[in-house]
Amino acid sequence: MEPKLSSDLLRGHTDTIVLGSLLGQDRYGFEIYNRILERTGERYELKETTLYSSYKRLERDGYIISYWGDETQGARRRYYRITDKGREQYLQNKIDLEFTQKIINELLKEDER
Amino acid sequence: MNTRQQIDSLFSGYEKTAGLSDFMEELESNLNDRIASLKQKGMGEQEAFDKALAELGDISSLADDLSLKRKQDVFSEMYMKTRNYISPVRMALYVICGALIGFGLITGVAAWLFSSVLDAFLGTALIFCGSGVLVVVFLGLTQETSANEAMSWKRALWYVLSVGALIFGVFVFVNAYFTKGAGLPVAIASLIPFFLPGMSLGVFLILTEKDRSKPWVAELRREAVKSAMHPFGSPGREERFGLICGALWIAGIAGFVLLTITVGFKFSWLALVAALVVQLLVQSAFMKADGKRD
Repeated sequence: MEPKLSSDLLRGHTDTIVLGSLLGQDRYGFEIYNRILERTGERYELKETTLYSSYKRLERDGYIISYWGDETQGARRRYYRITDKGREQYLQNKIDLEFTQKIINELLKEDER
Repeated sequence: MNTRQQIDSLFSGYEKTAGLSDFMEELESNLNDRIASLKQKGMGEQEAFDKALAELGDISSLADDLSLKRKQDVFSEMYMKTRNYISPVRMALYVICGALIGFGLITGVAAWLFSSVLDAFLGTALIFCGSGVLVVVFLGLTQETSANEAMSWKRALWYVLSVGALIFGVFVFVNAYFTKGAGLPVAIASLIPFFLPGMSLGVFLILTEKDRSKPWVAELRREAVKSAMHPFGSPGREERFGLICGALWIAGIAGFVLLTITVGFKFSWLALVAALVVQLLVQSAFMKADGKRD
């Protein structure tokens, strides 16, 4: 049986994925989108609107801040930077996820027995 | 169609707030980058454009997240919804009250003409018209309109009480004055128990009334006050306007006094009229200059 990537499952973690992509450097929309495409081998059919909703949500809650880049030619790029609160949230989400994964594995193991 | 036009058409139905223009610019640069990267992988111009747009997804859910409002929603919120505020129940009640008031008047007049006793009219009118008016007062005050929020029903009941006392007071007054033959002193005295408390309550309620204007009305009012407070733009211009007017009226009044002494009142009043005309001209000149500056 061929494994498939569940977009629905992934979508629930959009905020964490965005936060994670900002840990090392500030990025703008296309970079974040491209990073996700590359890391999933283009298997994740992510809609960009999902990402924009996530940026707005994260910014409103103070996990990221945004600013305009100083591009001289073409349209300006809007960059996102993670805040300390955002880093904390990212770590929390990550350990939550790992913990949940463990439990899901436990549950599935029970089923297979 | 280029990206800019495409984005414009996607959001053409939405009110263009500062937040939305920002977002459209962000969207444009990201879409262009995505198209460029797709072309680099060997896609054709049109194919890359279509793919990038498909990847964008549904714009309406995003608009909800950004709490963007459709133009027509904004418009209808501001101006068009007056009718929608009146629920069917209220409409029915308004109609019933109108009929009740009309019925009271007609039967009252009929009873008066048949019996030729004023009491007959007053009694009938009081019961039917009075109750009709009271319900209309209550409905009117608790009615949300395009410009005002509804009053709380408790407060509206106090108004009803006040109006009820007023109506009954007038009824007692007329009754005492005309029908009992008691005359004016008794009639006036009869104002004390009903009319006076009713009026006092009404005055108290009106004086303690809170502003129930909707935000957009308050905003308009603020702007109107602001522009009225600075009709000529800068404080310097206002000061100059004041000085010119002062000089003008001193000259006008001096001319008036002088002319009254020399040629008499018959012509001297024209000096004041002339001053008024010049005052208006000065004012219009200041306004026009102000308009030009903007």
